[in-house]
Amino acid sequence: MTTTEQPDLHPAAPPPSRSRSTRRTVLVIVLLLIAVGALLSQGLLKSLNYFVTVDEAWTQRPHLGTSTLRLEGVVEPGTIERTSTGASFYIEGSGTHRYFVTAAGSPPQLFQANIPVVVVGHFASSSSPDFLGSQIMVKHSSTYIAQHPGRVKAPNGTVR
Amino acid sequence: MTRWSPRWWGWISVVLLAFTAVMGLWVTPPDQVQGDLVRLLYIHPAIAWVALYVSFGTAVVAAGLYLWPRTRSEGMDRVSYCAMEISVLFIALTLVTGSIWGRPTWGVWWAWDARLTSTAILGVFEVAYLALRRANEDAELRARRSAVFALLTAVNVPIIHFSVIWWKTLHQGASVLTSTGALNVHGSMLWTMLVSFVGFTTLFVWLLLRRVALESSRDERRRARLDAALDLRRREGVG
Repeated sequence: MTTTEQPDLHPAAPPPSRSRSTRRTVLVIVLLLIAVGALLSQGLLKSLNYFVTVDEAWTQRPHLGTSTLRLEGVVEPGTIERTSTGASFYIEGSGTHRYFVTAAGSPPQLFQANIPVVVVGHFASSSSPDFLGSQIMVKHSSTYIAQHPGRVKAPNGTVR
Repeated sequence: MTRWSPRWWGWISVVLLAFTAVMGLWVTPPDQVQGDLVRLLYIHPAIAWVALYVSFGTAVVAAGLYLWPRTRSEGMDRVSYCAMEISVLFIALTLVTGSIWGRPTWGVWWAWDARLTSTAILGVFEVAYLALRRANEDAELRARRSAVFALLTAVNVPIIHFSVIWWKTLHQGASVLTSTGALNVHGSMLWTMLVSFVGFTTLFVWLLLRRVALESSRDERRRARLDAALDLRRREGVG
């Protein structure tokens, strides 16, 4: 050994007992369970499925009533109107179903026609097709396409 | 310096990450929808890849090898511990870079969807693993308990990976590791992203080699101190 440090010659403390280690381990596991439980109660247990699609909302309409939910669909082109308090637009599903959304608050930077969105809010009444939103979130797809001024869409739907 | 010394891994990662930065910031085009926000694509998925699969995967595999009697060694425990520490760092970076991208894109910093919540839970598991190591002072007991814990927490990784398929999430699905094998990223954007995956993976290797070497030298120093103290006591006894 090349170190010049003096070895510690004081009486050594007795080695930690196995039961003390076990007690500490149990404490860590309990704290872990509390933390995971808190995260699960906030997240997965309330919203394993984060939203209801427009098509699902259409079929489940009698059960949804005016309860708060997250409604997902695509912003219908030509229907966006910016208001002093937010924006209004039609949100459509994959079929022919659509709802009129009036949302308060400023929409996200990427909010535009033809983009999938998730709107937090509730239906105006149990039979109304109007959805009153308090927040708009943009649901971005997993496809990344380079911006190009001459980009065209092929008849089969692919982007060239 | 040997051929595969840590320094080489460090230099390789510096070169690859510098290349990623130049390509990502100045050469690749903006995205059709996201514009310049897409540039976070060159770091966030690669960081998540290292956090979930590379470093956490290394920690779990080393934990399994520690528990297997034929491969049990102090070195395996050390690798598992060091890889888990690095994974904590990368999980934190994953959540931070994801939030920075999420605010302008989704409109929120955080969403309690299945992908984000299960990733946060993995972060909590990893912090608990580190706490568990400090809770056990006996080296063998510590290594065994933390290895078992690491293996148990591994169940969360497939949940994170498939969460975007099993449930409806705000987080988008996979762009590269898709179930169909399709690549949903265009041209130069794709290979810049792939370079970043390799760059962050080599960064992990460099960090792991450095961290394991540090931990080994600490252990050697502890042993040397103990030997010196024992030797002194013996000489006192003889004198």
